[in-house]
Amino acid sequence: MMRMKKVLEVKNLSKSFGKIPAVSGVSFDIGENQIFALIGPNGAGKSTTLRMIATILTPTSGSIKICGRDSVKEADEVRKMISYLPEEAGAYKNLTGLEYLKFMAALFAENRATEKRYLATAEEISNLKDRLKSKVNTYSKGMTRKLLLARTVMIEPKLAILDEPTSGLDVVNAFEIRKTINQLSKRGMSVLLSSHNMLEIEFLSEEVGIINQGKIQEIGSVSELKSKYKAKNLEEVFINSVHNR
Amino acid sequence: MRKFLILIKKEVKELLTLQMVLPLVVTMVVFAFVGDIAGDQAKKSQENRSLTVVNYDQSPTAAAVISALKSADFNVSESDHAKSIDEILRETKERQQSAVVIIPENFGQGVTSGQAQEIEAYTIMNNFSLSASQNSVILKSALEAINNYISDQLIRSRVSDLKPEEIKSPIKVRDIVVVGNARAAVSPEAVVGFISQQTTFIPIILFIVILFAAQMIATTIASEKENKTLETLLSAPVSRRAIVSSKMIGAGIVALLMALVYIFGFRYYMDGMTGGALGGVDGTNQAFSDLGLVFSVSDYLILGASLFCGILAALAIALIIGSFAEDSKNVQGLITPLMVLIIIPYFFVMFLDINTLTPALKYLIYAIPFSHPFLAAPNIFLGNFNQVIFGIIYQIIVFIVFVLIAGKIFSSDLILTLKLNLNRKKR
Repeated sequence: MMRMKKVLEVKNLSKSFGKIPAVSGVSFDIGENQIFALIGPNGAGKSTTLRMIATILTPTSGSIKICGRDSVKEADEVRKMISYLPEEAGAYKNLTGLEYLKFMAALFAENRATEKRYLATAEEISNLKDRLKSKVNTYSKGMTRKLLLARTVMIEPKLAILDEPTSGLDVVNAFEIRKTINQLSKRGMSVLLSSHNMLEIEFLSEEVGIINQGKIQEIGSVSELKSKYKAKNLEEVFINSVHNR
Repeated sequence: MRKFLILIKKEVKELLTLQMVLPLVVTMVVFAFVGDIAGDQAKKSQENRSLTVVNYDQSPTAAAVISALKSADFNVSESDHAKSIDEILRETKERQQSAVVIIPENFGQGVTSGQAQEIEAYTIMNNFSLSASQNSVILKSALEAINNYISDQLIRSRVSDLKPEEIKSPIKVRDIVVVGNARAAVSPEAVVGFISQQTTFIPIILFIVILFAAQMIATTIASEKENKTLETLLSAPVSRRAIVSSKMIGAGIVALLMALVYIFGFRYYMDGMTGGALGGVDGTNQAFSDLGLVFSVSDYLILGASLFCGILAALAIALIIGSFAEDSKNVQGLITPLMVLIIIPYFFVMFLDINTLTPALKYLIYAIPFSHPFLAAPNIFLGNFNQVIFGIIYQIIVFIVFVLIAGKIFSSDLILTLKLNLNRKKR
């Protein structure tokens, strides 16, 4: 089997807050165009892992490499290749959607031409049309999430880190966001996402990592895990995996 | 640099919202309006020096006293002495007057024989505001006018070859005030009045601006944490230093804008209150200028530098405070210690002379970085420029120390992990 080029390599990653361990010895890789899902119960260490990969938390030990660059030593370079969507994030409420996208595009782009290209991409992906001229504080939760997803992926990152991208959204909005993520991955973007929605994971991810109490318990494709646990769906895999430990 | 400017622009845009600008403008308009009304009221009550006189004596002396009051520009209403005092007071109230002077029987006879006479003076108090105190001033000056008239008459009748004023005030005083090395012929009361006018509004503006700036930046950090926009920002390819300094510069710009608006508003207010005589009464302007009590452009620049450094120190401390807040609601509680640090020098400068404090208390006040902008104006008036420069240097040191701490917090996990929820602790 031909090995994919690795976009993300996580090795023995650990993080403690004082004496409390949040993540212990986590290792996994993500290849080009791959969608990798990290699933686990609340407080399992998903968001902490994602925040370390997004360079906003420093690992206690272990290493993270994005396209071969170390996330701690070469954080500035890494930040140019990743884009992070935090769980239940908001945008600046006093800016319009368009102003917010312009601001973020300008932060990532090195010149005006690239900034314009990012903005055009975001406008297309968000599909918010005229509502982009409205202030963000008038947006519904679904609209805000679309705006933020567009912001995350407009820079065409090597790796998009999406923490619970559809959390709290209705069926229609969640479906649209999943569809967008799928399309973007096909266009060459690798995605690391966390979610509680097993149906979403089955729909999106090629590979899944189950994390519990800060440790990776299982890694494999959805079909591999289903057959290993003789389960009908990923939910059963998740329950058995978490409860059997 | 481009990204840094983009960050500053965003900060200013986020802070300068309609919700923030509108109350500011309304406050300014209200100040100007209140100042105008108060000034008009004071002017009216000064112009309307009216009182009621009840003459139970009917002697030529009593009649002369009443005409002396009239010629001293008092609007005198004479009341019928056959009426009861209650009736007279009711009528006085109806005429919207507040002073009644009763000239007793045998007043003229007593005065002529050189016996001190007792006059009853009624002051009707409808309220206890500053304008009410104006009423007692009117009565006092009326009684002074009566005393002056009678004493003049008595002196004239007994010593015909001397002017009464030469006997009453044999010494003529020429006041000379010394401030630093400067001297000028002006009364100390006029100088104190002028300085207190200046130093009333300068500390109020400093207090408001420093506090608002601190609150603004702490709230932006807290709401960025709450909305998780800070996480997005921290994962973007911009330096942490740029994020920290853009927040401070953005809040600093907005705070200075506010300072300008407040100075404008207060100036209007004071102008209204004093009828535009903020610069001093006639003939005293030159004296104030000679004493160095009128700010020159360089004085304003030094005062501005001290204020700016005070704002910067407040911003740096508030930045750290904001990092501890879990959400914007939490900020108010966390900012309280900083408010206390700003209130302490504010009260000391407003009500006390710092030089009369014990050394320990004095150095404690000097250790508070916000004391220096408050002390800058009086020190500039007194020519103590070394003290002002020392204050500015001290504030810059405080600012650098706190910015380094803030930088440390922003470049580590602490910015996301620091939490101090006072509400939760109370439970």
